Amino acid sequence: MKHPEPSYEHAPLPVRADFGAAHRRFWQRLQRPGSWWTSAERIAIAAETRQGRDCELCQRRRASLSPNAPAGAHDTVSSLAPEVIDAVHRLATDPSRLTKGSLRAMIDAGFTAGHYVELVSTVAAIISIDSFCRGIGVAFHMLPVAGRGAPTHYQPANAVADDAWVPMIPADRNSGAEADLWPRGRTGNVIRALSLVPDEVRTLGDLSAAHYLPNAQVGDPTARSEHLDRSQIELIAGRVSALNQCYY
Amino acid sequence: MDIGSINDGGEGRGVPHGAALIAFAEAMVGADETALARVRQELVKAIGGAAMIDAAGVASNFERMVRIADGTGITLGEGLERFSSSVREELGLDRLRDRKGFSDA
Repeated sequence: MKHPEPSYEHAPLPVRADFGAAHRRFWQRLQRPGSWWTSAERIAIAAETRQGRDCELCQRRRASLSPNAPAGAHDTVSSLAPEVIDAVHRLATDPSRLTKGSLRAMIDAGFTAGHYVELVSTVAAIISIDSFCRGIGVAFHMLPVAGRGAPTHYQPANAVADDAWVPMIPADRNSGAEADLWPRGRTGNVIRALSLVPDEVRTLGDLSAAHYLPNAQVGDPTARSEHLDRSQIELIAGRVSALNQCYY
Repeated sequence: MDIGSINDGGEGRGVPHGAALIAFAEAMVGADETALARVRQELVKAIGGAAMIDAAGVASNFERMVRIADGTGITLGEGLERFSSSVREELGLDRLRDRKGFSDA
């Protein structure tokens, strides 16, 4: 069975081709195993990301002064481990109050920091693509059918404990197979945050180039998108970050 | 740019069509579909359909970036900490970092 790939052909207004192309590449990635999850597990993480919006426990947690106060079980759509579902739902629905406890719970349940980083990246990408669809007034894309194969368990040798809950590649040590991640030899922590799973940094760059700016242009104050100047871009970026109460 | 608009909404003075862009960003983060449809139309009227698509791209990009930052517990790093100190002070961003706490809780 083949599900349709993301397309904006029938959107109410014309959509730049690079959005559809980047979203199709992400969907194709979901159909392949990652470094730490199978394709089926990655798609289950995507489905749980969407499910978080309708989860009654998540809604009570968001309304609570302390997100850990409400008891109960998540409304789920997958057979992922409870610790994984909890991390996915928290990140999807209440990211600013997420703590290292979610990572620790997954580690205690036998997962690795690599699993966690790939989970964060997958949740964040699905949220972004779904948010784009909602913003322009089109339905969410149907999730793909899982592909076959086993995760590679690839981990860069130069990832170390650093300025984050998870190991990262130091900014000046992206060499060898990771030399392409930030070719200019320096980058922000929000890019390095995913470097324990290098393919997630590549996915981040691919999606960001369509949605925002190519990573190499972010530091250039004159960089702009096709139809917005830099002040307009940063006003939107800042307001969305503030509404999400993101310290970064 | 009226940087206060980032924190408290407002008119986005100094940015072309700032008020319409802020309203659209707020509706995208919110959950009111009727409001989103209304401000989308207003934004299209103000800046055109192609620019509205670009604006949706930027807003949705930062729905992703905040989750990467919050999900991995990154710090600003020395360079960004120094570079952004005055803006952070003006926007009161350090209160969010303090709330996040970077504890093991």
